[in-house]
Amino acid sequence: MPDSNTSPLRVMLVDDAPARAALLEQSLSDCGYQVICRLDSARGLLYQVEQHRPDVVIVDLESPERDVLEDMSLLNHHHPTAVVMFAAGAQRTDIERAVRAGVSAYVVDGLDPQRVSPILEVAIARFREYQALRRELQETRNQLAERSLVERAKTLLMSQRQWDEKTAYHAMRKLAMDRSQRLADVARDIIAVLELTHDDP
Amino acid sequence: MTPEPESATPPEKADLCLGYVPLSDCLPLVAAQQLGFFSEEGLRVSLKAEASWASLRDRLVIGQFDAAHMLAPMVLATSLGLGGWEKPLLTACVLNLNGNAVTVSRSLYQRLQTHASHPVYGLAAAQALAELLRHDATPLTFATVFPFSSHHYQLRYWLAAAGIDPDRQLRLITLHPAQMADHLQRGLIDGYCVGEPWNSLAVAGGFGHIVATGHDIWQNSPEKVLAVTADWAARHPGSHAALLRAIHRAGRWLDENRRQATALLQDVIPVPPRVLERALLGELPLGPEGPARTLDDCLVFHRYAANLPWRSHARWLLAQMRRWNQLQGVTVSDADAIALACYRPDILRAAVGSGALPEIDEKCEGSHTEHWILDTRAGPLTMGPDALIDGIVTSE
Repeated sequence: MPDSNTSPLRVMLVDDAPARAALLEQSLSDCGYQVICRLDSARGLLYQVEQHRPDVVIVDLESPERDVLEDMSLLNHHHPTAVVMFAAGAQRTDIERAVRAGVSAYVVDGLDPQRVSPILEVAIARFREYQALRRELQETRNQLAERSLVERAKTLLMSQRQWDEKTAYHAMRKLAMDRSQRLADVARDIIAVLELTHDDP
Repeated sequence: MTPEPESATPPEKADLCLGYVPLSDCLPLVAAQQLGFFSEEGLRVSLKAEASWASLRDRLVIGQFDAAHMLAPMVLATSLGLGGWEKPLLTACVLNLNGNAVTVSRSLYQRLQTHASHPVYGLAAAQALAELLRHDATPLTFATVFPFSSHHYQLRYWLAAAGIDPDRQLRLITLHPAQMADHLQRGLIDGYCVGEPWNSLAVAGGFGHIVATGHDIWQNSPEKVLAVTADWAARHPGSHAALLRAIHRAGRWLDENRRQATALLQDVIPVPPRVLERALLGELPLGPEGPARTLDDCLVFHRYAANLPWRSHARWLLAQMRRWNQLQGVTVSDADAIALACYRPDILRAAVGSGALPEIDEKCEGSHTEHWILDTRAGPLTMGPDALIDGIVTSE
């Protein structure tokens, strides 16, 4: 069950079978979710997601929109959106395999309303966990890359200007403050300029 | 030396289910089925159309499909665990070379014309786009079919060859092939790179212009492959070899029987035959007006040793994945190992006989600007050119 203290999770349903979608919408509402949009796969999912900004997209396993969703959620080009998939007659092993593979995709056997809520909860939790991990990894990578840029600019300044480390660092920091730029961006500019003039006497 | 076909190995499994996405290049599977080539190999094959590349891959990975018509880079990406699943896949057979094109909307085409001194085609079209982007800040959106697809890399290659940064100067999105033309017509996107017949459909409808074919970007580049999981291949060498023989034979038939091929395709794709036949016959109208471009190699199923999975093709695709930051955390040696594990020319040679196939696994991509001759045990083999649009030659 969603936490009643927070706003309800906003769900988008993509299904080419209107009867099934209506049934699922009903059970989601009963469980306290807000179904903000129900559409078939011909409507241009990407634009609908941008317009409605759902927390979760539920899509039929057979939908052609799956490639769009995979690009969106796994490669994170757009808004992070958990994706849950369902298909009638799916095997329990399929679900387990999908979960093990770390795809935020779950296959629901049939549409037992009792099962929808816990599956949504788990899918969203796992998706958030995954997004947090990705973010952390990206930040670490960025930090490392930026640190090495600053180091490199500093070394270039030291060798070409005959400065000591402290002078080089302070010069860069002053430039960054004067130009309201990040230290890494200043370092990038310095490297570009100094490497260009490297062969000059 | 690779042995001649082992006719003695019977299929371990005769009932096979093969997945495909309805596109002109699923024809090798359709033809092998319709012409009885599978059954002559002792196989009972059922073909199942899939609505998305993601579900095609999932069904292959979980074993609902024995083999599938798959985007060549998807075999590499899935084996590397990029984009969800991590499962070793391999291919022993390329299904076709070429078949893609870049199409832009009529209005974008008209704007490109004001920035071009040459016909808006090929590299000149990308250069006109670069010029347009320098003068006009209106954001443009281009679509490809999947992040790990030849279409994605071809579009990016074409853009970058004109100095366009695809990540900063444009918006690239993913769309299903069958939705491309509709989205272009509705003005939701400005252009796309997709396989046939979805370029010709926009041209025939009067709302799209083809500005480059995939063949213009990288001549005779690999498109779809027959993908299997490495597990499946290990457990079913006889079934795999039988599939490869039937598909290899279907490719040869398709290259020689283009009109009949169009008829076969009619049952698979709900598009008028006069549109379906354009790429198959190599007469490709580029826009609503004007003459067709004659391009014999618009879709190649067999000639030029098309079915051989060249390891140099795998390396080129991996290089594009690295170029566009899809291989973060994958070392160069890991990527190299994947190229060797996923691309298996040795399995094709063992299945169909090495005589008429090249004995080498790599060629110098980009170095052949004309047709060239490769010696095989069965005699000289005519190979197609493999030049890139910017003239770059990959290192051997």
